[in-house]
Amino acid sequence: MSDPVKVKTVCGYCGTGCGLVVEVDNNKIVKIRGDKEAPVNKGQTCVKGSFAYEYVHAESRLTSPLIRKAGKLVETTWEEAYQFIAQKLNGIKEQFGPEAITMFATARSTNEVNYVTQKFMRTVIGSNNIDGCNRT
Amino acid sequence: MGSNTTEAHPIIANRMKKAVKSGLKIIVIDPRRIDMVKSSHRHLQINVGSDIALMNAMIHVIIEEELYNPAFIDQFTVDFDTLKEQVKMYTPEFASEITGVAPQDIIETAREYATADKAMIAYTLGITEHHCGVNNVFDIANLALLTGHIGKEGSGIMPLRGQNNVQGAGDMGCLPNMMPGAVSITNDKYRERFEEAWNVKINPIAGDTQTRAFEKMEMGGVKALYCIGENPLMADVHMTHTRKLLEGLDLLIVQDIFLTETAKLADVVLPARSWGEVEGTYTNTDRRIQRVRKAVDAHPNTKDDWVILCELSELMGYQMNYNNSEEIWEELRELAWEMYGGMPYSRLDKEYSLHYPCPDESHPGTFILHERYHNHEIASGKQSPFVPVTYTEPVELPDEEYPFTLTTGRRYESYNTHTQTKFYASGVKIKQKEETVDMHPEDAEKLGVETGDVVEVSSRRGSLQVNVKVTEQVSPGLVFMSFHFSEVPTNVLTINEFDPISGTAEFKACAVKIQSLK
Repeated sequence: MSDPVKVKTVCGYCGTGCGLVVEVDNNKIVKIRGDKEAPVNKGQTCVKGSFAYEYVHAESRLTSPLIRKAGKLVETTWEEAYQFIAQKLNGIKEQFGPEAITMFATARSTNEVNYVTQKFMRTVIGSNNIDGCNRT
Repeated sequence: MGSNTTEAHPIIANRMKKAVKSGLKIIVIDPRRIDMVKSSHRHLQINVGSDIALMNAMIHVIIEEELYNPAFIDQFTVDFDTLKEQVKMYTPEFASEITGVAPQDIIETAREYATADKAMIAYTLGITEHHCGVNNVFDIANLALLTGHIGKEGSGIMPLRGQNNVQGAGDMGCLPNMMPGAVSITNDKYRERFEEAWNVKINPIAGDTQTRAFEKMEMGGVKALYCIGENPLMADVHMTHTRKLLEGLDLLIVQDIFLTETAKLADVVLPARSWGEVEGTYTNTDRRIQRVRKAVDAHPNTKDDWVILCELSELMGYQMNYNNSEEIWEELRELAWEMYGGMPYSRLDKEYSLHYPCPDESHPGTFILHERYHNHEIASGKQSPFVPVTYTEPVELPDEEYPFTLTTGRRYESYNTHTQTKFYASGVKIKQKEETVDMHPEDAEKLGVETGDVVEVSSRRGSLQVNVKVTEQVSPGLVFMSFHFSEVPTNVLTINEFDPISGTAEFKACAVKIQSLK
């Protein structure tokens, strides 16, 4: 076994923003501890931050785009998924206008993802129908 | 108030509890006897949804006993007289009838809050998830303005946010009425800045909130929903109704890391990358920007969310080209420089975290917001209005047929719709592995049930079966459930009534009946 690589990051669960040190061995997260240098938590973590990371490596993670065919979701290629979405969205936009399209953004991903998400809605779609779980 | 900090924000709770040892007094205002009560100096176990009656009575006492801050009110506020008029009828005795809290406890709490050298109100969804959520928040602001407990260290209003980047998502403009940098979409000059950079015309009229989108689906006005990393079927109120609306769409796109309950209804599902697999930044509950870093390589057939959107964008005829997350951040820094201009990745790497606003690289970041209230050099002429509010009871009160109030929330070990917290590292002992309906011993005795017995819980919208947990955490007549477990989908019970301003649903109160299945 090689020495685990240590990566400093921030917890992905609640809004506290605890700094974590993630130990990685052979491309697997093997341990997480609180980062003593983190201004928010000074080394502490809760049970979720420390231990609820196995989902990253879960067998049930999605690894292929899926598309509904004859009522069932089946695996497809990125190209086909993109073509389908682009065609449908453009069609709906043309027929019903951009206001018939709405976007739920995610409060779990990065600022950068969220910036691009709203830019996509406001430029490509031309609608301000974008919201997230900010209200819940 | 309305924050089960120990379970929902454990590390913040640790800091609060630690501060008790050095003299902090905690007053817990919550319908449940939550864990924080053990560290508190007083617990006001109010009836669900009676917050405004309580706060208006506190304001009443503070005015009556002249414990407010007249200099602060003169200089920084308007409409004090309207507030005075509004709270006249909210005597402690009147509020006691509504809240179930003794008048003397209301008086003492008002005195302690007003006369403390520093005082802070921390709140969570117990305040906002009501049909009157915005009014609840207005009343918290009324208390802070009345006493001047805002804009200095150890004082203020602290909404504790539930997701790692719920603050950031809103600040980035993932709101129907806001541009990146938290500036209104109706601000022509600011909007033009983005129009020029993006080379498009931006619609100046606010779009639909999530709640409004569901309403429009009902009328057929929404044809397509693109849903990223959310599980609204599980998380939103009145699940049976939500399912019908999602099934009625022409196009449902779900971009996620798991085939969630919502994704199962989709026309197309896109596999995204998760925490631990991507680079970027999050904004925490106190406006701190921090770097998140990639720890492991993701499955090669998954893509980072922004990559998917850029590729799709190109196919639809608009170019968005970024080589990495830093290039996106740089664009944001340039366009929303008032907030983020001084925070390149290099500085975040070095300083760990910076609070916005931070307009340039020599700026230290803004640790305390609203300092203008106390610093005469930066005091602007801006005055904050008091917004007097009226108590309104929960939309659905218990009655003969549905005699219990159901309130919902989170539990310590699980997170939201549990798609991720199903996967704990091996060897971790989990206390709450499945959903329970938490009820008071008196109610359990009346129903003839004990911990572990199965009951049927029904509201006017749906019903489910769940195990009983007998606990004195709840009061008689009140039951509690979380929304973590898809096997027990609590949101089939909750009510689709919303705050008219925020669109937040009344997750915290609905009427249910409970039948023993023994």
